[in-house]
Amino acid sequence: MQGVVGAFHEIDTTVSAIEDLKKKKLGDVTVYSPTIRHELERAIDAPQSVVRRFTLIGGLVGVSFGYWVAIWSSTYWPLVTGGKAIASWIPYTIIGFEVMVLVGALSTVAGMFINSRIPRLSTTSGYDARFSGGYFGVFIACDASKAGQAEELLRHHGAVEVWREA
Amino acid sequence: MASVGEGIRGPNIASADVQLPAVRDYEQVDREIIATLGFTKQWFMGLSVAVLGMLIGASAWIYQIYWGLGQAGYEPPVMWGNFIITFVFWVGIGHAGTLISAILFLFRAGFRTSIYRAAEAMTVFAVMTAGLFPIIHIGRPWKFFWLLPYPNWRLLFPNFKSPLVWDVFAISTYLTISTTFLYIGLIPDIAVLRDKETNPTRKRILAILALGWRNSDREWRHFAKAYLFLAAFSTPLVLSVHSVVSFDFAMALTPGWHASIFPPYFVAGAIFSGFAMVWTIIIPMRKWFKLEHYITLNHLDATAKVVLFTSMVVGCAYMIEFFIAWYSGVRSEQEFFWNRVFGQWWWAAWIMLLCNMSLPMSLWSQKLRRNPTWLFVLSLFINLGMWFERFVIVVPSLSHEFEPWQWGSYLPSWVDMSFLIGSFGWFFMWFLLFVKQFPVMAIAELKEIVAPRVKHGNDGGHH
Repeated sequence: MQGVVGAFHEIDTTVSAIEDLKKKKLGDVTVYSPTIRHELERAIDAPQSVVRRFTLIGGLVGVSFGYWVAIWSSTYWPLVTGGKAIASWIPYTIIGFEVMVLVGALSTVAGMFINSRIPRLSTTSGYDARFSGGYFGVFIACDASKAGQAEELLRHHGAVEVWREA
Repeated sequence: MASVGEGIRGPNIASADVQLPAVRDYEQVDREIIATLGFTKQWFMGLSVAVLGMLIGASAWIYQIYWGLGQAGYEPPVMWGNFIITFVFWVGIGHAGTLISAILFLFRAGFRTSIYRAAEAMTVFAVMTAGLFPIIHIGRPWKFFWLLPYPNWRLLFPNFKSPLVWDVFAISTYLTISTTFLYIGLIPDIAVLRDKETNPTRKRILAILALGWRNSDREWRHFAKAYLFLAAFSTPLVLSVHSVVSFDFAMALTPGWHASIFPPYFVAGAIFSGFAMVWTIIIPMRKWFKLEHYITLNHLDATAKVVLFTSMVVGCAYMIEFFIAWYSGVRSEQEFFWNRVFGQWWWAAWIMLLCNMSLPMSLWSQKLRRNPTWLFVLSLFINLGMWFERFVIVVPSLSHEFEPWQWGSYLPSWVDMSFLIGSFGWFFMWFLLFVKQFPVMAIAELKEIVAPRVKHGNDGGHH
């Protein structure tokens, strides 16, 4: 993807660059950081993650399947054990709970993968190995006409290095 | 977290305020944690001992498959012995990891950050170890899949009302979720290793394992939410797993087992033993890897308080068992509990009471809570005591049921002991292999604690 990348060593300069870029509307901004920082989250102001929907749907599917498989098996092999009803919902709550946790948690992971667009075979354009270490990165997706302005803005805010991605 | 460390870093610091004053920047975290991955002579020696232990267990298994389950010291009425004792022991050990990574995460307990990765790995390997024992115990391990209650046409009845079937669901779910939780937390750290790796083959492997992670705001946003929900799922799962294990006993009418106190008693015991094993692992680790400034005395102090608390819960459960036996007026229960402490198995019960109830009371002393040598020694006693707790639950009950003519004894054979040694070898082998391939501390989470560089004055540690 075409654009400009700036590498920052300080978080406050990164935050001010992000805020300025958002004001100037030069292009979509992607921020790279070695860890989660609330300052960056506030500056980016991205919408809430939709992973929670995957969790909810996975949990509901799991609990339904857990109860269903226990009830269906019991009615298919109707042997009385322990003087309980053929389909006893109290002991089957354990099965329902465990399968809810299993499917709900795996759906959460699936939701994270789908929304984060991983796994991918390579790190995409704009990424630099320093961004998992001690540096913060700001990538602006823009064409050549706005690249100069973006470069200037990043340098102005204190980027230690700025480069273009073809 | 305003002004962390300013005047509040006293000797009896609240656990939520545990900080890392000697860690200055992100580069230091990368450098020092990645340095732990280097191979050393001591590591090779440790791995050799673990592999040897595992081979002892594997040889015993081959011997037992050839000669039959009778080699393991089983004779009526005690048909559950070392295998089930060791199974429950390892499942219990496996509890602290997810407790630390999930429950303490939800409670925002600061001392968790430095120790949770080691504890999570410990959990996965402990549950892997535990899972072997039901398979060993069925005698014909190649038929282990019969444990799974799937619909079939071989006249096997899938009994969903059986606690043993609940156990299969609980343990397999726990292993799957613990492994997933461990791996998800590892992804950003594997990306750090990938970016620093110079060997092309290893770099390629790490790139595959990192799934193309690149630390973007999109990835972190979804990662944080997914991690929160995984923690939220894991929290009740931790509590349910050992409750379900306790149902293996509590659902039977056997004296000493048929008690409604079993689920909380088992859960508290599991957390207690799990934290002890965390000490057994992290106290030598912090010394050998020179990580004393990451796992500080404040961290150990905070974990010691958890151990003290769970020891008291476990001790309370022991006493309530005796009280209920006396108060119920049921003769068989009274006779059984008298026999437990003054009869045939008195020595096992007193080892349990000494290690799990008495010695941990030393942790009321702040000086001892902050003494790594004492905590390490205590952890060994607690591991011993918790194995004997399961011995005291399993063997005396089965050997001393309602009918005196049924009473019997149990003596673990060399095969049993070999399996016990083998389980420790198997567990430590995996753990030692893990610590040289992946960061034993969560690099990305440690960086959350460390204040980032700022150009225009320090932000005072506001995160």
